[in-house]
Amino acid sequence: MAEDNVGRIVGGKLVRPKRQLAMVFDLNKCLGCQTCTIACKTLWTREEGMEHMWWATVNTMPGRGTPRDWEKMGGGFVKGASRAGKLPTNEEFGEAWQFNYDEVFYGGKGNEAHLAPQGKPPTWGPNWDEDQGGGEYPNAYYFYLPRICNHCTHPACLEACPRRAIYKRAEDGIVLIDENRCKGYRFCMEACPYKKIYFNHVRAVSQKCIFCFPRVEKGVAPACSRQCPGRLRFVGYLDDEKGPIHKLVKQWKVAVPLHEEYGTDPNVYYVPPLAPPRLDANGNVDETKPRIPADYLRSLFGPAVDRALDTLKAEMAKTRAGGKSEILDTLIVYSWPKDIFPDFAKDPATLEWTSAETAKKA
Amino acid sequence: MLVKKVQASRDALLDPEAGEWKGAATEVIALKGTPLTLQPSPYVKAAWKGREIGKVKSVRVSSLHNGEDVFFRFAWADPNDNDRISDQNVFPDGAALLFPLNGDAPLQTMGSKTQPVNAWYWRADFGEQGKNNVAEGLGTTRLTAGSHVVCRASWRGGTWQLVIARPLAVPDQASEAVQLRPGSAVKMAIAIWEGSNGERAGVKAFSKQWRRVEIEA
Repeated sequence: MAEDNVGRIVGGKLVRPKRQLAMVFDLNKCLGCQTCTIACKTLWTREEGMEHMWWATVNTMPGRGTPRDWEKMGGGFVKGASRAGKLPTNEEFGEAWQFNYDEVFYGGKGNEAHLAPQGKPPTWGPNWDEDQGGGEYPNAYYFYLPRICNHCTHPACLEACPRRAIYKRAEDGIVLIDENRCKGYRFCMEACPYKKIYFNHVRAVSQKCIFCFPRVEKGVAPACSRQCPGRLRFVGYLDDEKGPIHKLVKQWKVAVPLHEEYGTDPNVYYVPPLAPPRLDANGNVDETKPRIPADYLRSLFGPAVDRALDTLKAEMAKTRAGGKSEILDTLIVYSWPKDIFPDFAKDPATLEWTSAETAKKA
Repeated sequence: MLVKKVQASRDALLDPEAGEWKGAATEVIALKGTPLTLQPSPYVKAAWKGREIGKVKSVRVSSLHNGEDVFFRFAWADPNDNDRISDQNVFPDGAALLFPLNGDAPLQTMGSKTQPVNAWYWRADFGEQGKNNVAEGLGTTRLTAGSHVVCRASWRGGTWQLVIARPLAVPDQASEAVQLRPGSAVKMAIAIWEGSNGERAGVKAFSKQWRRVEIEA
């Protein structure tokens, strides 16, 4: 049990970690390929009881997301006071579908039988409304929103647990569930406004993204970030003034948190999406209004999104005119991996795990 | 409450519907929801404000021992049996007996550092193996490595019937389980969790005071 109260309000004051790890996701580079999703799944949530878990997800926005309509499920804080939340159901997460692999691949019916979910037809899944988006032709729009646990500075989950089974590490701000203390009460799931905690029905404990802490401790970036083909997931300490995270979030303010109004001070930041210009009724470019409605982006990223987009547009204009932009150069990530997670650039293939570490990892 | 001594087998007394229980004295024990102010989680305090805590209002309790094992039989009305965690938002019914580990302990706070309590815990999804818990205050319940607690339950026609049993003495758990001796008395309290009401952890119905339980010599 963590006795240091990091992430808790003590005497009216939030106890902060010494340092905070954070991520920045550049939504302009996300192609919705789900490699992050699968990198996480194969590394952490393959066991029985974890079928429905997707600690890393990517959903199309506008969309209902995963679990379905998670943004309407409450939780978090309103003016510092806990807000009641709802527990998502299996159906809202989208159950792990079983497919007829045997029939198609080994049953000699490969020409007639087609892969399809078996049993009751599914009604939702972790990526159900992919590429639907919003708007009308010719001004339809969408973008991808990758999500993980936000490792919040004031985690609603941590405060919700009556057993203090959730703690926030003082050295890097990673939020973890102590499965030896967890009794599966799921108050954390209710309280998390991002709905990024999952219940393991075999082990009867709650589980979530662990920011790949065993990798991070060895200088290796989390799997979702390392595997990302779009190279859009920056990782680093928020206070590292030389690192990309601090520059993008604090210095240039082009990366903004998702649903800051939930009150948990999340530590995943997003470079908001730009979009091609709108077309008017005659098919001509109409620059008077953005394709993705500004109000919609504000509903996700708050009013700070305006300034972030303005900065990005100004920097793009600068480079178009032949100038240089440190901001865009940073977002482009010329030299991978050192430009995207400078402190975590080590190749995981070079690591040697001791058996004790492997056990800890499991 | 008197735990009468009878000549009956462990198997018979474990069955909540066995004839051996017919003549046993029954007490109706009133239950109350746990006070919201004592919930250790600020979230629970906020989320349960205005919600009913403690759906089960009373429980009928009988008890017997056969010189070896002690048996507590519970019966309470419950329109639905929540006997498994069938979904993320589903909670099973539960019941527990609580004893001061060393003679006395504060009940409302589930014991204290210096006065721990011992809970014998049944949950509808556990099967027959009950759990042995020690607590030293709210939110500190700890499962012990082993448990001699055995439970048998049945739900029929809107009533749970449950027997929670254990050897009177469990010498291998001297520091983590209450030791019961014929001819002596202990304090005991009861808690019931109504799963369909989302009751779990400290959100439950409980008998507000310790009750004196005398074990017949």
